[in-house]
Amino acid sequence: MMARLLGGTGTVRGRKTREILLLLAFLILIWGITTVLSPRFLSVKNITDILIQAAPLGFVVIGQMIVIVVRGLDLSVASIMATAAVLSIGVFDNTATAFVAALLLGALVGGVNGYLVSYRRVTPFLATLATMIVLQGIRFAYTKGAPSGSLPDTFRYLATGDVGGVPVILIVLIGVACVAHWMLERSVPGRQLLLYGDNPEAAHMSGLPAKRIVISAYVISGVLAAIAGLFLVGYVGIVDNWTGQGYELDSIAAAVIGGASLRGGKGSVIGALLAALILVSLFNIVVILGLSIEFQMVVKGALILLAAAVYIRRTRD
Amino acid sequence: MSDLARAVRFQNVHLAIVGLIAAVFIVGVFSSDRFVTVLNIANVQDQLVALALVALAQTVVILSGGIDLSFAGLLGLLSVLFATFAGSDPATFSAAYICILALGTAIGALTGGIVAFSGIHPLIVTLATSTIMAGAALLHTKQPSGSVPLFFEDIVYARFFGFLPWGTLFVIAAYVIVGFVLWRTRFGIRVYAIGDDERAATISGVPVRLTKVLIYALSGFIVALAAIYLVGRFGVGDPRAGIGFDLRSITPVIVGGTLLAGGRGGVLGTFLAVILLALLANVLNFLNVSNFYLWIVEGVIIVVAVSLFVVRARS
Repeated sequence: MMARLLGGTGTVRGRKTREILLLLAFLILIWGITTVLSPRFLSVKNITDILIQAAPLGFVVIGQMIVIVVRGLDLSVASIMATAAVLSIGVFDNTATAFVAALLLGALVGGVNGYLVSYRRVTPFLATLATMIVLQGIRFAYTKGAPSGSLPDTFRYLATGDVGGVPVILIVLIGVACVAHWMLERSVPGRQLLLYGDNPEAAHMSGLPAKRIVISAYVISGVLAAIAGLFLVGYVGIVDNWTGQGYELDSIAAAVIGGASLRGGKGSVIGALLAALILVSLFNIVVILGLSIEFQMVVKGALILLAAAVYIRRTRD
Repeated sequence: MSDLARAVRFQNVHLAIVGLIAAVFIVGVFSSDRFVTVLNIANVQDQLVALALVALAQTVVILSGGIDLSFAGLLGLLSVLFATFAGSDPATFSAAYICILALGTAIGALTGGIVAFSGIHPLIVTLATSTIMAGAALLHTKQPSGSVPLFFEDIVYARFFGFLPWGTLFVIAAYVIVGFVLWRTRFGIRVYAIGDDERAATISGVPVRLTKVLIYALSGFIVALAAIYLVGRFGVGDPRAGIGFDLRSITPVIVGGTLLAGGRGGVLGTFLAVILLALLANVLNFLNVSNFYLWIVEGVIIVVAVSLFVVRARS
């Protein structure tokens, strides 16, 4: 039983389980240290706050991870977050319409990314860099550089409200995560994503719709980024042109720490979410220690390097 | 494909960029009579010096199949350190100058070492080191601070015949030297070999790890020069001086015909692309088009350029 729990040896599932247990142990370690430093840390309210803070990154990292699985990279997620929020809330008064418009925008941008990568064979890095810059231009041209408009109450509620004590944002995130996990591990399209990422040539020869697979990965990432953008502006309470700045890099880091390989074919929803939580918890430690915010950046950079190094060592075994 | 054919094809890319530069220039001439003035021409050059230097550094790294996203943090850190220690007399200035160049080179070598020996993707490594250095720069000072001696600002703002800043001459010299190193030295050949096919290079006896350390060290050295220039231009060291330079440094490299996968391209394309982008920004300014639209144009240029090169490479 214990051997099975620790994942046996050699099997893919076993390695994954071990990776997730390692991340979990790391998270508990961080929370343990934080509790020692500041006993007030370990309260339901505080943990819930951290979960809510980590939630927008959670949406983005799931999408980012799926893109990384198909050997891609999505640098446009932060730009999608801001543009979806700014444009949809700026143009539409009706909350539902704004929500749908934001999702459509995310899907559209993801589609463009996927088209460029699959049909035009543009390197993912450059394709998404280009859409990132273009979106930034559109957003600033629309707002003329100033942060725009007021935030409808519904968005504020979605991001900060709760249903029976459980925050809405967490319910949505858990729902999305379950669907993504099931899709990646159990459904045919999900297995196709993994197979394609593992070996595009083989996938192509087995008659898989390679281009459609790549495009759908970017569309998922775009839609999730749009959702994250709406939740983030709801949480912060201000629609800002730079909403989500830094999320592209944080999401890549979290996906990689969570066990995704930049060489494709490998990724885990649970791992990615745990890694996102670890990043946010680490920021929290820095704040509790009373260190300046800038210190977060040093810690984050060092952690990313460390995690990547540990991870590389493990896969070489 | 023979070397000759390859060389000619790349000259086509260069020709195309020169054509675009000419087109943008003509639009500029018609857009405003202040466009072809000594002052404006000097302005365009002032704008492009720092970008030209970081793009040169990025070209070498990309040619080897790597990527360096640490410029934002590195520029910020080196800027504040230089402005802090430059002082006001030539002696402290020279000492700070040499120390900053050495520090930039050392940080680059360290980055290269991590990339070469850990096997972690350079994207992750340089993002991480950039974050660390940006944090360190902000810990050192939150506000732009420090100063440089007046004589250094005088040099940066001096212009030959009214329109030719030292910066431009400096950039040209840097491109010529790096171009020579890439085309005519063993190191240069190794850079291309690693970018073309790392495994083949290893098998052929290329010291891949050492070369990678040297590549990132060279990149760090050039970025240190850019940091010193920026401090001279603005008169202070700004911890945020480098923001945006990481991604902006890639655009000219790609537009100039260097493949992101490595092994193909060169510094001439980057140089021309830097001129094109700086001129484009300037002309759009005269046309009263806001900088926000420049972003849209830049994104479209990347996609078009890359799509074209991919189609060419396949045919």
